Amino acid sequence: MTGRDLVNAAVDEARRSGAEASEAYFERSEDLTIEVRDGAVENLKVAQESGVGIRIIRSGCLGFAYTSDRSWPALREAVGAALANARVSSSDPFNNLPKPPAAYAVMNLADLRLKEIPLDDKIELARRIERSGRAYDPRIRITEQAAYEESHYQVSIANSLGVSASYEGSFCGGGASLVAGANGEQQSGFGIQYSRNYAELDPEAIGREAASKAVRLLGASRLSTKRAAVVFDPYVVTNFLAVLSSALTAEAVQKGRSLFAGKVGERVAAAGVTVIDDGALPGGLMSAPFDGEGVPSRRTVLIQDGKLAGFLQNSYTGAKDGLASTGNASRGSYKSTPELGSTNFYLEPGELTQEQIIKQTDEGIYLTDVMGMHTVNPISGDFSVGAAGIWIEHGELTTPVRGMVIAGNMLELLEGIDAVGRDLRFFIGKGAPTVRVARLTISGE
Amino acid sequence: MLDKSELEEILRVAQRGSDFAEVFMERTESTRIGCEARQIERVISGREQGAGIRAVHGDNTAYGYTNALDKESLLQLAGQVSRAAQAGEVSPVALQRRESPVDLPVVRRPDVTPVEDKVALVREAEESARRQDEKLLRQVSVGYADTIQQVTIANTEGVYVEDERVRCRMSVNAVAAEGTVIQTGYDSIGGTRGEELFDGEKPAELGRQAARRALLMLKARRAPAGRMAVVLSGEAGGTMVHEACGHGLEADLAQKNLSVYSGKKGAQVASELVTVVDDGTLPGRFGSFRFDDEGNPAQKTVLIDQGGLTGYMYDHITAARDGVAPTGNGRRQSFQHRPIPRMSTTYLAPGETPPEEIIRETKSGLLVRHMGGGQVNTTNGDFVFDVPEGYLIENGEVTAPVRGATLTGNGPDVLKQIDLVGSDFGFSLGICGKEGQGVPVSDAQPTIRIPSLVVGGIIEEEIAEEGEGDD
Repeated sequence: MTGRDLVNAAVDEARRSGAEASEAYFERSEDLTIEVRDGAVENLKVAQESGVGIRIIRSGCLGFAYTSDRSWPALREAVGAALANARVSSSDPFNNLPKPPAAYAVMNLADLRLKEIPLDDKIELARRIERSGRAYDPRIRITEQAAYEESHYQVSIANSLGVSASYEGSFCGGGASLVAGANGEQQSGFGIQYSRNYAELDPEAIGREAASKAVRLLGASRLSTKRAAVVFDPYVVTNFLAVLSSALTAEAVQKGRSLFAGKVGERVAAAGVTVIDDGALPGGLMSAPFDGEGVPSRRTVLIQDGKLAGFLQNSYTGAKDGLASTGNASRGSYKSTPELGSTNFYLEPGELTQEQIIKQTDEGIYLTDVMGMHTVNPISGDFSVGAAGIWIEHGELTTPVRGMVIAGNMLELLEGIDAVGRDLRFFIGKGAPTVRVARLTISGE
Repeated sequence: MLDKSELEEILRVAQRGSDFAEVFMERTESTRIGCEARQIERVISGREQGAGIRAVHGDNTAYGYTNALDKESLLQLAGQVSRAAQAGEVSPVALQRRESPVDLPVVRRPDVTPVEDKVALVREAEESARRQDEKLLRQVSVGYADTIQQVTIANTEGVYVEDERVRCRMSVNAVAAEGTVIQTGYDSIGGTRGEELFDGEKPAELGRQAARRALLMLKARRAPAGRMAVVLSGEAGGTMVHEACGHGLEADLAQKNLSVYSGKKGAQVASELVTVVDDGTLPGRFGSFRFDDEGNPAQKTVLIDQGGLTGYMYDHITAARDGVAPTGNGRRQSFQHRPIPRMSTTYLAPGETPPEEIIRETKSGLLVRHMGGGQVNTTNGDFVFDVPEGYLIENGEVTAPVRGATLTGNGPDVLKQIDLVGSDFGFSLGICGKEGQGVPVSDAQPTIRIPSLVVGGIIEEEIAEEGEGDD
């Protein structure tokens, strides 16, 4: 059975078994990973996976079951298990499935030539990443990882209200993690690039980025505690965006775990700060014609010029708020129920280059690495993370620092943004430019 | 799943041109329950099956996996991962069943326990948490999960293992709010055992602890920032030893010179009070197992003995490279992953000082009674942890609770600094992530004192800028 046939058959079976509403979601993926070290292939991985997840609503109660076995008996068993699970869950009037839309956007998500490119070319691409990194500086001593990766996927969804749709896509990418050593000290740096288009990958740039990041931290020391400006590298900003994206879901608000609850229309960030989620972004790695429930993907402005404009919604939270789904039902895989998540989530770029922002900073840190982002409290917004970067004095990058702690509050941080760069860069699903926050506590000695 | 002779045939195909080949077959059944906002929101059950085949030649590993478990599919996959082009001699494989000395009994299997009973356990935890303070507790969420993983492992060295791993776990997250202050509290239990894990009103105790922590932190003041003595209570568990020391002793990182402990075998790397052990055989612990994911029995491995580095944690490949026997630490998340060296239950062994005395001997500092999540950079040893339950120590006494503290430091530096080791012992557990793979682990330690660590907190503006104020 094809994915489309499978999901339609599962919905029919659920209907026959007495489900009021049902949905089936099928996913199939084929992945290739090549890791090289010292010029030789260290690990080669080929993978094939598929499965189906079944969601049932009965008397307002939700049940879910999944199976990786595509046989008819396994599918029937999963439908039975989903129904049984619905019997012990709580009834909730807002559980609902979306109706089919008039149409879905046609998106070109797959690089059809990707599979035809010989394996040896892809191995050579990974080697080029490593070579360019090792050649960047004699202090680059160890390859922790240099890899090429590609994924092909197919998704089909059907529900009892008539949704029935499929798409397929692919992406590829390269990454490197390199270690620089000098005077008995070691520092690591990474570079990554993903694209839907193989021809866009620039292996030399990936290797150089990893090498330069490792080398620039050599000789880092810990400075004394002070309050000063913090210039966030785009990658570090995307780390904070990950926290922001979950606080900006309607689910977090409805469950009392968002620092943005009750603030729609209010100023929550400095003027000039605009945050967007766009599931239909051309070229976006997270773009798809529809979300995990079959709702068409779209662009949603969450923070508009510092003002909170709204939240990400799926069918459940939308029904609860009396609003439409924003197409943000997300699935980790066929093994999980659709939850709420961001797609291509980014901070809109401003006018300045990173150089200009640093030039205009009298004293502060150019923050290149943070550790312990999981410790950010999503409810209070308080954070205290390990920090490394390069100290800025009179607009110049001076000495590398590490082992510092930057503490503050997410809202304080958003309100303290006084410069936004033009260098928007995506790291898979999160994108950001360089950003400066006027003052934060930087703890050290 | 397939029988021995079929596996032998698949191994012969996978081994062509390589030194070593292995088949890992898995069938996993699981149940997850989620409760939030007083609702049983998610009840999920699932079945997943698949096989992973690898062929190892020198430093090269080819790994493939598929959901299919039939002979034809696996023969095809074996051909894909083999180096058939370089085909040389293929020696016949004769599989021999292995037994493990480790016994992990399961009293009540999750697959025969009605889902209603599991929902009742979740309710017990939820209600117990709520009872701590109906007014201030804004949210209580409870997560329950059980898994039964059946595996068959066979390799060209003749290893043949059939095993079943049964694990249960529950966690509670409480959110308390008063005015503009919102704080959270968390607690979890888990074990390599059946539903008996929850006997003795364990869910209720779990709910109480999580709620108590959230409520306590409402009253806490902000943690001080700066360098100070830190006492880690035994009840905080061994997250610190796992992150700050354990990862650097995994042989893959050490062999690639990516660890601060690379090439340090025999060297004094810690205070003489420090002995660190990894032990996958402890009864019922979340990180315990009969066999690792390469078919080697779990064992107890001393990593640091009175400050001296005695060994690393090995899987098949890294052990061969160092010319030693594997230590039963080759683990993987599932058939979708190749095994790599991982911890099981890692602990810092108890010493002789009564924990009360450690606090009495500390003039001022921070007491950590519950450890949060951590992250470590194994290349340079730097780490960060958050402290969900911390207190000030003033003149040898535990005083006010503090919130928002994080510990920042360097693993090797901390191990050398430890100057007091308690006679108590406490466990914690979690899912440890490495190279995108999560595996269940536990860790433990006694109360210890680290004379000087950087505690990150917030400097009140007036202190930093005007040098005055007294908060």
